[in-house]
Amino acid sequence: MMGKGSELSRDGDWSVLRVWGEVDLSWSQDVRKQVLDAYTKAKSLAVQLDGVSYIDSSGIAALVEGFQHARAKGGRFALLAPSESVRAVLELARLDRVFPIFSDLAAARAA
Amino acid sequence: MSAPPLLRMEFAARAESLAEVRAAVHRALLTLTLDARDVARIVLAIDEACANVIRHAYRDCNDGRIELRIERRRERLRFRLRDHAPAVDPGCLKPRDLSECRPGGLGINIIDETMDHWRQRPLKRHCGNVLTMLRRLQVRNK
Repeated sequence: MMGKGSELSRDGDWSVLRVWGEVDLSWSQDVRKQVLDAYTKAKSLAVQLDGVSYIDSSGIAALVEGFQHARAKGGRFALLAPSESVRAVLELARLDRVFPIFSDLAAARAA
Repeated sequence: MSAPPLLRMEFAARAESLAEVRAAVHRALLTLTLDARDVARIVLAIDEACANVIRHAYRDCNDGRIELRIERRRERLRFRLRDHAPAVDPGCLKPRDLSECRPGGLGINIIDETMDHWRQRPLKRHCGNVLTMLRRLQVRNK
């Protein structure tokens, strides 16, 4: 897994968006679009973040929009396995208490 | 005579510059006795400051320049960002209430949480703004 990128897949009634690399202002708008587009495939979205080595506030904003979309439309939103650097930024923004965070999709489904 | 800066760089005010800036700041901070978590926090704060200049001062117009200078002054680090964009009202730069869950506006909070002191001011005689941020080198509880 090189550079940065994302990949959308479907797992039952969930969309899973796997993101990797550094999420900064240079492509966070693309991530935001992918997050919102994912809801056209399924009502619930899990964003897998174990491969994200860096995220800034613009990347966090894309996740907040995804979370708010799910709440508004009656779907579910989850973050899967955020890396240590992602967790640090979530804690700094106090969003670790807001986002549902799970180790994997099975845990998100079971919650 | 003051010590030479830890880093002095000038770069294009565009989002594509940010990875290079982060790498340069990271390298400069590795010469100090900071732990990895502190280094990561400072790199993030500098990235957020640069992103704010790109988005809000230059308004994503891509042809501006930003100068970054990092100096060690005794037990403090001083970060100075200089742009040539139209003046930005310092009163607009305030941390927001983090209990509100909404996208955007977190950059100033990150700077505020990471730095001991920061100040942004428009230049009086020239076009542009200067953001100065100070951070103690010793272990902090913030």
